[in-house]
Amino acid sequence: MISQSATRWIRFIRQYGPIPRNDNMYDEHIRKSAKRAGIRPLAFVHPVEQDALAQFALARKDRRSVILTGTAGDGKSHLCGKIWALMGGSENQWTSDDVYHTLDIASGDKSLKVHVIRDLTALPAHDAKGRYAEKAELLTRFCDGLCEPDAKDQFLIAANDGQLVETLQRLPTTDNVARVRTIVESLLVEGRRESPEFKLTLFNLSGVPCVVLFDLALDAFSSHEGWSECYASSVSDGFFGERCPIRNNHELLKSPLVRERLRSLFELCDCNELHVPIRRILLLFANAILGHEDAKDRLMQAADVSTFLQKKTTAKASLFNNLFGGNLSEVRRDSLEVFDYLNRFRVGHETSNRVDNILIFGEADENLKPYFDKLLRADTMYGADDSYYAAQRSYVEGDDADPANDHFLRLLVSQRRGLFFKIPPDWEEELALWELTVFKYAGEYLEKVLKPLRQGGRVERPFLARLVKGLNRIFVGMLVSTDRDLLLATSISFSSSKISQILEDRIPVTPRLNERVELVLKHDKPTLNVQFSPTISASLPLNLTRYEFLSRVAEGALPGSFSRECCEDMLAFKSRLLSCLIERRLSEGVAASNTVAFHLLTLDPAGNPLDDVVEVTHG
Amino acid sequence: MASLATMLPLPPREDYRDNSMWVDEQIWGHRLWDSESPWLLFLEFLNVAEASKRNGQLFANGGHPLLFKPYKRLHLRNILFNNEVLTRISERYPESGSAWKAWLDWMSVNAKGVIPRDFAYLKGRFHSFQQFVSLVGILRGSAVESETNKRWSSRFVFPFGPNALYEDLNITAAGKVSREYIYFGRTGELLYLMLCRSKKKDELASRFAAMLSGNNQWNKLLALFQPDEAEDSETRTNSFLPYIAHPVFDLLTEDWLHVLSLELPGFDVMPHLVTLAAFHVMLYQLRVSSELLSKPLHFVCEVVAPKKTLVRELSAFNYQENSLLSQKAVEAYLVGITSSERWQLARSESSAFAACKAILEEQFRWPNDPEDYEGCSEPDALAAELRRAAISRHKQHVASVHRQYGRDVGLVSKRGTNRLRYAPTDALLKTLVLANVSRRIEYKEFLYLLFTRYGLVFGEREAEHVLLHEDFEKKAFQTNSHRLEQRLSSLGMLRRLSDACAYVQNPLARGQS
Repeated sequence: MISQSATRWIRFIRQYGPIPRNDNMYDEHIRKSAKRAGIRPLAFVHPVEQDALAQFALARKDRRSVILTGTAGDGKSHLCGKIWALMGGSENQWTSDDVYHTLDIASGDKSLKVHVIRDLTALPAHDAKGRYAEKAELLTRFCDGLCEPDAKDQFLIAANDGQLVETLQRLPTTDNVARVRTIVESLLVEGRRESPEFKLTLFNLSGVPCVVLFDLALDAFSSHEGWSECYASSVSDGFFGERCPIRNNHELLKSPLVRERLRSLFELCDCNELHVPIRRILLLFANAILGHEDAKDRLMQAADVSTFLQKKTTAKASLFNNLFGGNLSEVRRDSLEVFDYLNRFRVGHETSNRVDNILIFGEADENLKPYFDKLLRADTMYGADDSYYAAQRSYVEGDDADPANDHFLRLLVSQRRGLFFKIPPDWEEELALWELTVFKYAGEYLEKVLKPLRQGGRVERPFLARLVKGLNRIFVGMLVSTDRDLLLATSISFSSSKISQILEDRIPVTPRLNERVELVLKHDKPTLNVQFSPTISASLPLNLTRYEFLSRVAEGALPGSFSRECCEDMLAFKSRLLSCLIERRLSEGVAASNTVAFHLLTLDPAGNPLDDVVEVTHG
Repeated sequence: MASLATMLPLPPREDYRDNSMWVDEQIWGHRLWDSESPWLLFLEFLNVAEASKRNGQLFANGGHPLLFKPYKRLHLRNILFNNEVLTRISERYPESGSAWKAWLDWMSVNAKGVIPRDFAYLKGRFHSFQQFVSLVGILRGSAVESETNKRWSSRFVFPFGPNALYEDLNITAAGKVSREYIYFGRTGELLYLMLCRSKKKDELASRFAAMLSGNNQWNKLLALFQPDEAEDSETRTNSFLPYIAHPVFDLLTEDWLHVLSLELPGFDVMPHLVTLAAFHVMLYQLRVSSELLSKPLHFVCEVVAPKKTLVRELSAFNYQENSLLSQKAVEAYLVGITSSERWQLARSESSAFAACKAILEEQFRWPNDPEDYEGCSEPDALAAELRRAAISRHKQHVASVHRQYGRDVGLVSKRGTNRLRYAPTDALLKTLVLANVSRRIEYKEFLYLLFTRYGLVFGEREAEHVLLHEDFEKKAFQTNSHRLEQRLSSLGMLRRLSDACAYVQNPLARGQS
């Protein structure tokens, strides 16, 4: 018999999953639900919590107003609630539907009014309790307060970034409002928290790297006491027994290798400036553990386990597939950004010959058998099972037009996803793990670029050389092989023509005089920096997509492929580099001469650029 | 604003003997020419600007009167574009001396429009014949619109500076040189006049003075190809722009100044200036039309979708409506006279026909010729014939400016469908961002800006403004707007903060890192 508490626990985490539900007042809803079930809600200390709370500590003298911004599900309401509690606000008041709350506090020898707007969008235009005449008036008071040194008000405002900007735009413009607007906008776009102008701190919760949130959330999720209830209540060939998919998924999610791979994906999302809010991270975990195509709302309940075991459809609960929303309908999956972002890696759809050979022929081929055994046969839950063997046989032996082939191809997607999480570290290179994703160079990006830079070290030469080669190919429009210098070339009409044959200058990678090309860390991101002189430089932030793009171009891909946006970014970078060159020339004061000279670029068969200097004297 | 009240008086008739009537000219100017591509428009303009600068009159005096002496540069043009024999000689005579002799001999027979046909001055200026040939090859490669198959005397080298500028000419096989207004159709001159009459012309003049100084390698190189003696040049004149001022003139100047202020490297700014010029001339034609008709003007723009959408339908319909604007404006202009008190008075006179005919001759310089009107002596019939003739004449060229320029700048297209409608290309979007965004601007504000400045409609807020209630569908325009965001993003011009918040940014703004 499954215990009550285990059932309640499963039902509780199901709430976090992708079930149809109204997302407003999510935080409230979860807390009420937890209270009813007698379960401690999932919680962890948010990275900005300490700093945010510090602004409202009762003893604090120098108080700053706080804006909590970010996207829906980042934890703004939750933090507001904590701040309210810290200040001694009443819990009953907080749990009401009211969006606006105030509290009078004694600060030093003065009295201060703290205004809390829990959700800027939901703030009514007029206050039923008469505390403010109009929404615009309250916000104008906020702006005024920031611009005055001796304000009697402190504000705590929680707002989605889009709403924040728009609301400020709509306010009637006064000097103060205009100043606040500009400052808030630049804080948001530039990713800063404070400006010396006002006593305002902006916490952009979307700016917290999602890999940090991932770690915190996963710890909170996997180590919750609710799981021990489940173990305590295990049924031998049913719920939480050896072959229970829920239990297997829970253990897999905790296992170091799966965690590490999933964490890498989150790290890479950060590197591509994609943010996953906390709410969605928890949704991912809930779906990963409970997902099953045939279950109600595609999420299992405790009672479903024995049914699926009997029907032998436990493979459909594969964690590896659930992590990509494979259990959900296409519409649902596409509507949730966490699955959209994770699916951008195309795990399951990308592959290499080696991997597919293992999957399709591994069982029979003696070279591939060891891999097949370890990676597929050994996985009795989600690896090769009877249905897999049957489909595989019919695929290999059957003929091309057989509709059963589609079924096998879909199974392959699921298996490839599994491989991504199962290939052990010592086989990573041999089996080219990252070729299972669309970012073939992701592993290298994490290990050889990001990691050394963050540890204060340097990136090895060959990686920078490859990037330089990629840039050169885009700048010149021909298959150059130069990787020791950055070639700044133009065509004689305008610099964004397809082929640029006039070489304006070369900047060496190895430092010479004041010139160099290097990889540095800026704002915690790998950045390519080109130095022209002690004061003149230009840099290109290298997110994962740009790194992948340049590496592929260096290895032979055409600049027009993979990412149009990257190509445009590189051409804009080239424009900036040429501007720097002109700036340097002006500052060096190039003497007017009677000679017209320029360098024509052509290539030798090996792709090395040949410099043809044309010089003409006149006058 | 254009209306019958703000037009300048007609210019002297003697200067315009070749114009069969004076209708389009009084509404828009002499003249708007549809067969002038954006680059040619810009080059024609540059010639006027350069010549004016030489006179110390860049953008001065409101362009009254416009007199200028553009270069012809026939030696250069013969070398670059009337010279198929060059490579053959270079291959046949590896020795420089004999190559020069062979080539100079050929040129002394075959060069056109140059007297005397002597190119010997070139010999001492180059290291060798081979060097000469390779330089010619490079310069030829810079030719503007090189893929078209025009006569050699209408081919243009890239405008590196004053040494690269020359006017369009017709040169017969016999070597007779004349100015034909086919490719340089005078719209470039109109463009110049518009800028002369804008509020910020002085600032523009200082920017252009720098550009026209020719202080770069390529311009200096071109000097080597031309003889030292000054050439004979002729004075060009007779352009006419009927408005002392108009908001479109200022709009164009502002956009140009904005793009110039980005200080893009080399000649990168040129394509944007070219696109903006043609775009604004098209806008001028339509705005003047819509003002004469007291109708609003807007452009419903589809961001190309994979299948048919409501926005596409509305855009095609909108395009059709706009296409008829200029013709309706002509009719309104004519009716403005034939429904006036003066006309009514003349009609009631005893010699009504003669009196009315006199009015038409004064206002429209028609009938010009006894053949123009051979009908009965009825004022109404006369007016009707004028109307017919004017519309027919209008349809030949001026009416096509909207379609032709619209297509050339990338606003009008048939892409993905079989009807013309407004579907801006990436290149046009890029130019518009460079012209309007200094560093960054919130996305919805950007849409609003495009609407208030140019009348471009992409999103639901602007669409709701201009469309009839029954035509407007919020979802369709929201999707359209979303697609625009994606396009801008793929151009590196959109920075997304979250689902609800995005900024359009200018990646080429100064100080960006």
